[in-house]
Amino acid sequence: MTAFIIRRILWTIPVLLLVIFLTFVMMKQIGGNPFRRTERAVPVAIQQNLERKFNLDEPWYVQYALYVKGVFTFDLGPSLVSRDRTVNDIIREHAPKSLELGFYAMLWAIVLGIPAGVIAALRHNSIFDYGLMFFSNVGFAVPSFLVATLLIYYVALKWGLVPTNGWTTWESKILPSFALGLLPMAYFARLVRGSMLETLQQDYVRTARAKGLRQRRIIVRHVLRNSLIPAITAIAPLLGFIITGSFVIEVIFSIPGIGRYFVTSVSSRDYSVVMGITVLTSVVIVLANLVVDILYGILDPRTREART
Amino acid sequence: MLSRNRWLSAVLLSLVAVLLVVGCGGDDDEGGNGGGGAAAADQTLKWGLGSEFLLDPGLATDTTSSKILSNIFDGLVKLNNDLEAEPAAAESWDENGKVVTFHLREGMKWTNGDPVTAGDYEFAWKRALSPELGSDYAYQLTGIQGAAEYNECENNCNALRDKVMVQATDPQTLKVTLTSVQPWFIEQVAHHVFLPVNPKAVQAAPERWTRPENIVTNGAFKVEDAQPSASITLVKNADWRDAANVKLERVEGRIIVDGTTAVQSFEAGEVDVLDEQLPPAEIPRLKDTPEYELYTGLGTTYYGFNMKNITDINQRRAMSLAVNRRQIIDTITQANEIPAKGFTPEGMPGFEEIVGEGSPWTPEAGDIDQAKEYMAKVQGPKQKVAIVTNEGDPNKDVAVALQSMWKEIGVDSTIRVMEWQQYLEYLGPPPPGAVDLFRLGWVGDFVDDINFLELWTCESGNNNTGFCDKEYDALVEKAKATPDDAERTEIYNQLEAKLTGQDGALPFIPMWSISYNNLERESVKETFQINLLDQVDLTTVEIKES
Repeated sequence: MTAFIIRRILWTIPVLLLVIFLTFVMMKQIGGNPFRRTERAVPVAIQQNLERKFNLDEPWYVQYALYVKGVFTFDLGPSLVSRDRTVNDIIREHAPKSLELGFYAMLWAIVLGIPAGVIAALRHNSIFDYGLMFFSNVGFAVPSFLVATLLIYYVALKWGLVPTNGWTTWESKILPSFALGLLPMAYFARLVRGSMLETLQQDYVRTARAKGLRQRRIIVRHVLRNSLIPAITAIAPLLGFIITGSFVIEVIFSIPGIGRYFVTSVSSRDYSVVMGITVLTSVVIVLANLVVDILYGILDPRTREART
Repeated sequence: MLSRNRWLSAVLLSLVAVLLVVGCGGDDDEGGNGGGGAAAADQTLKWGLGSEFLLDPGLATDTTSSKILSNIFDGLVKLNNDLEAEPAAAESWDENGKVVTFHLREGMKWTNGDPVTAGDYEFAWKRALSPELGSDYAYQLTGIQGAAEYNECENNCNALRDKVMVQATDPQTLKVTLTSVQPWFIEQVAHHVFLPVNPKAVQAAPERWTRPENIVTNGAFKVEDAQPSASITLVKNADWRDAANVKLERVEGRIIVDGTTAVQSFEAGEVDVLDEQLPPAEIPRLKDTPEYELYTGLGTTYYGFNMKNITDINQRRAMSLAVNRRQIIDTITQANEIPAKGFTPEGMPGFEEIVGEGSPWTPEAGDIDQAKEYMAKVQGPKQKVAIVTNEGDPNKDVAVALQSMWKEIGVDSTIRVMEWQQYLEYLGPPPPGAVDLFRLGWVGDFVDDINFLELWTCESGNNNTGFCDKEYDALVEKAKATPDDAERTEIYNQLEAKLTGQDGALPFIPMWSISYNNLERESVKETFQINLLDQVDLTTVEIKES
């Protein structure tokens, strides 16, 4: 197991290098001027000054080497646009909020989605089952920004239950995390329902019933654990959704998170911030995949055997 | 099992019923209460800001930062409602040809106890010019002798720094020597790049002096707290020179990036004023509410011609005549813009003299018949044109409207929408041969028409049309050397005529003057004013009893 973990952690290095390279190439390709805010052209002298200051006048391989060095020394450089902050500052001040948002979203998804899927499977073909699958489809089909705006309109504005925006009091955290958690919630519900229905048909469940075990013990001890495995494996790609989905949610709810920064830094060509956040996101995703794989091993002894 | 299912269904149904009742019982927002005369007990202004702010006067570029900076720092001058310079930190000034001398008031203090001196202004201006800082707005200072050279310096810059002719000859006197006579210089000094900074604070923490724990200010308000990208709290500075007349005690600014959310936040009562972020789609609904407020901005939106492609003046005239600005403003942009009569925007001092009755080529509702007449005069007209515009509401829709208007005069057009940064790069100057018309705008830095008219000189980096007229350039130089306002306005009139007049070259199609649409609660609406340059003076704001 330890060898497995170490091997996986070591793999992150080539992954990071590739990510940095691809991001670098793409940012260079899309052109644009990080120092131009409005229609007003930047006077030549000032443009040159700024390019010199931020090493943008160096050849591309020097710039690339500087980025790589920055990443591995944890000094991601100054922001080209937020001139009184470094990329480290930005990450330190904003990433925790996004992580919190993502965590709560996942929590909503797990706490509401998984039980819903379980109950739907147990009450197969009942009104609850159909109702649940209907809402689940809605969760997939309706884009998160639409849901978010509707939620703000009804829950925050009309009913005045929570603030319309921000990430400050605990009330303000409810809507955004719920809106972000909707799609994962729908996904979990469907997944768990499907795998439970399948598991319930298995021979060993019939055997357990024949043995005389109570329904509840069967569900909890045998069926659930096997049914949850697809859900656990789904966490990793869902995490990717949560990270990208958070951009939209953060803009709509005005949450000062890293997602919002990421989007604006691309359009304003803040190269160092783009690079820094891309690297951070890649590390998070790689680590999350690792955790999921470990969990998978714990839950399913068959995988554990295969690995050692 | 059966009864349990029934029970579950009953619960679900009643839940749904409750939700429906509560949801449908929603009422309209209460009509605003009339703004009373008495001042409210709680003078706290809750402000929804539209973007991040940067609290460094030398580096900030956006108007949100500008609004905050002009209220936490005390500039030498400020602009009154007629946009004339009024004494602020400087109690008076003398203009002697190229030399402008400011006389500072006595007894002003920074929030760290240091006295405010002319040296602070000298330090700040030179800092804004320094090549290391790389300030975007350094160009505003290049009217000062020695400034441009210092700003362009590559090494051994300290020698050049000393040659910048802004000197604190004594703690209360700031002497500025300009490169030429610039009658608008005093008004320009109201811009935030000319605000002072505290040298000690900046030198102690050059990268971090704007943090709330480090920042030192000298204005009417001081920073109590600032959360990056989230909020800023200002409190009244009791030691400010005119604190007795400041009514507001506290300003709570929160950043709301999305326009729709900003409106919802306002309607939920969480903020009392916004930062002009009304989404165009909402304006028709909000226009009739008592909280709606419309301001004119000092800016013009135009569609530029690539004169290398559309060479015949009659085609340019025809295309301009075909544009029904009124219809576009009423049905597409819907932000109550004022149709343009020339390049000089409404609200510019001297507008009537400069623009007169307006360009004959920009009838408010368009004139298709006249347009067709002029089109008929064109030898070998360009009948297929490529329009390019940047993303964002409502640019594409405006382009589509223009497309149909030009079709009526026999000109087919294709539309290309580009991302902002790529768009700017694409336009050069010079723009590529593939583009014939492009959408741009110009927002004024200071309140003098030279700022608009000098765009169209041959060498201007903001002239993407290819318009180049040596006489025009000469007139611009002449205007810059004319200190008398009335005489200069005369020259502006000639320049405007060369652009959009009867015999003007019409290198672009003027569309409209920009407008700012805002929501302001009635308790604050009377005193909260946004001026032409998109600035707010918080010292005049008072929250009324409601």
